[in-house]
Amino acid sequence: MRTVLLIASLFLLSSCRTDYDIAEVAPVEHTGEAHQHGAGETCLEHGVPMTEGHEAEHHGDDVNSGSLSGSERHLHAPGERNHGTEWFFNQPWAASFIWGKMLRDSVILVALAVAVLLISGLRRRHR
Amino acid sequence: MRPVVTFAHMTLRSLVRRRTIWGISIVILIALVGIGQIPGYGVSNQGRFILDFGLFGLELGALLLAIGLASSIYPRDRERRTIMPLIAVPLSRGQYLMGRFTGAALVQSASILTGCVGLMAILVLNGHQVPADLFPAAALLIVEGWFLLAVVFFFSFWTSPPLNAPLTVLLFIVSQLSVSGFVALLPSAPALMRTLRLLLPHMDVFHIKDPIAHGLDIPGIYFVLAVVYGLSYMAFMLAVALAVFRKRDLK
Repeated sequence: MRTVLLIASLFLLSSCRTDYDIAEVAPVEHTGEAHQHGAGETCLEHGVPMTEGHEAEHHGDDVNSGSLSGSERHLHAPGERNHGTEWFFNQPWAASFIWGKMLRDSVILVALAVAVLLISGLRRRHR
Repeated sequence: MRPVVTFAHMTLRSLVRRRTIWGISIVILIALVGIGQIPGYGVSNQGRFILDFGLFGLELGALLLAIGLASSIYPRDRERRTIMPLIAVPLSRGQYLMGRFTGAALVQSASILTGCVGLMAILVLNGHQVPADLFPAAALLIVEGWFLLAVVFFFSFWTSPPLNAPLTVLLFIVSQLSVSGFVALLPSAPALMRTLRLLLPHMDVFHIKDPIAHGLDIPGIYFVLAVVYGLSYMAFMLAVALAVFRKRDLK
């Protein structure tokens, strides 16, 4: 019981109250890099200004017709992060802002392991 | 330390004699060969798919190996009563756990490394380049496998043998979920789900197949952090497993 209480109190430390979900804790400079077509931007595929509904109208037709495929369907400037690829860049290896949290978790886990070992050893000795 | 090393060596020899390890290793290698046989149909970067599927296969192999190697060790020792003389004099319960764990971890590491070499051979035979980060990726899968081994040992002390594998697989699956994905399993109790998620590891830390398949470089510091994270979780699970084992009445 004491072990459970100790674990609970350590995990409830303010620094790890919500854990980390990369999509939730990502700073704007990380999430804002994904390129989204918006009004006023130029669609490289069609060379026309983007308007609301452009994607549904034109890109949908392309998909159905099958005249374009893969990267031909949707062009972006080199080095620009594509929209729809957030899942790829929201992985720990790409999200350097959570590396500190990984280290923090490691320290907490080692401290917990030592605490559990000590408490279970003491309890065994007292029996 | 010496008793642990001796006992780990004994465990290693007994595990190598069992058919389970060979069966799982052969299944992994057959799966890798199968992945290598998928026709490219002229698609450029076919090596990307081989790498992606291959590393995914190795990860599943790590899970199967952890369950296959460790789930029956303690129940078998208890059933045959070989555990009684062991922990009566020569070994403490901690040494028993560490010896068994170390032996199983060595076998698992060798199997995953063999799988990694197999994947490398398949890439070369298909005329693709072998990425430099393939072995670091395999190292992370080995650490993940050690963590899963610790989980299997914990469940083998805590529950009955038939529940061990399903619980480990369940933990493996839910640990792949992000926090928001985990909360979505029971949206009516977000606070409870977030607290539960705190106890689960972030398994995605060990997965770097996507950047490797796409040819992206990963900073060396990330590998170090991921290994430290995995080893810390492993140490925590082993400590909890030992705490449960110390409370078990073996009569």
